[in-house]
Amino acid sequence: MSDKNTRQDLSLWSGNPFADFRKQMDDLMEGFFGSGGTLAARSGLPSLDMTGAVRPAIDIAENDGAITLTAELPGISEDQVDLTIRNGMLTLKGEKKIEHDGDRDDVHVIERSYGAFQRSFPIPERVDTDAIEAKFDKGVLTVTMPKRKTAPAGSRKIEIGKG
Amino acid sequence: MTNDVTHTADKTPAETPETTTGRRIYRPLTDIVETADGVTLTLEMPGVAAEDVDITLEKRVLTIRGKVHAMQPEKLQLAYAEYGEGDFERAFTMSDDFDPDKIGAQVSNGVLTLTLPRAADAQPKKITVTAS
Repeated sequence: MSDKNTRQDLSLWSGNPFADFRKQMDDLMEGFFGSGGTLAARSGLPSLDMTGAVRPAIDIAENDGAITLTAELPGISEDQVDLTIRNGMLTLKGEKKIEHDGDRDDVHVIERSYGAFQRSFPIPERVDTDAIEAKFDKGVLTVTMPKRKTAPAGSRKIEIGKG
Repeated sequence: MTNDVTHTADKTPAETPETTTGRRIYRPLTDIVETADGVTLTLEMPGVAAEDVDITLEKRVLTIRGKVHAMQPEKLQLAYAEYGEGDFERAFTMSDDFDPDKIGAQVSNGVLTLTLPRAADAQPKKITVTAS
């Protein structure tokens, strides 16, 4: 009996009650909204493991000639952003470093978020991956993905025979 | 990640979203740091050029506005949006120990840095004690 009590006490004090609560909230919201319904995804708060503390917001637009992706990356210079194409995925990666001198300066308010970020996007078939261009201006990254003029190589029509 | 096209949770609309141009106005995320000579504010305003930042100081209220020029070429259809283009606006009420003539502003990579030095007479003075 005393054994059981000890175990209960341990479970009561083990772990972080706030993290447990977040986990329960996440489970609840995920059950209700489906995946992408976690508190992190819906509120912009960092997830429990702090991934997504910096999550650059993106817009995607398309016209006849190209697909354009823009990402908001304020406070980052172009050499701190890494853009790669691999296996049909476009990956945006970088790190936003805190500029304040923590030892000397006294922080009043911190609303901006800092840290490493990474986001990947599938590149549509109709994009000519060799012609993708990117530029960085005023804290906004613009990736221009021109569309192929012809059907992608290796595509063919399949004749359907009669049975 | 959500697939909601109008999802803009990362940006907070300003308190006065009604505009004559119909554009959205966001409240820039700001860090406020006390330095040796005063206070430094850094505001995130991605897409805002230095010449499109408007800073006014009236009766201790410091108002910052940043205009974003739509950079979408013609016939571009928005397929997916997380931030939505819009202008930035935010106001701060300052204490009266700042020197309004010495406020510095600088824009770099979409971040506005404002340095507000404290007035000389508000700086702590050191009094040297001499032995008699």
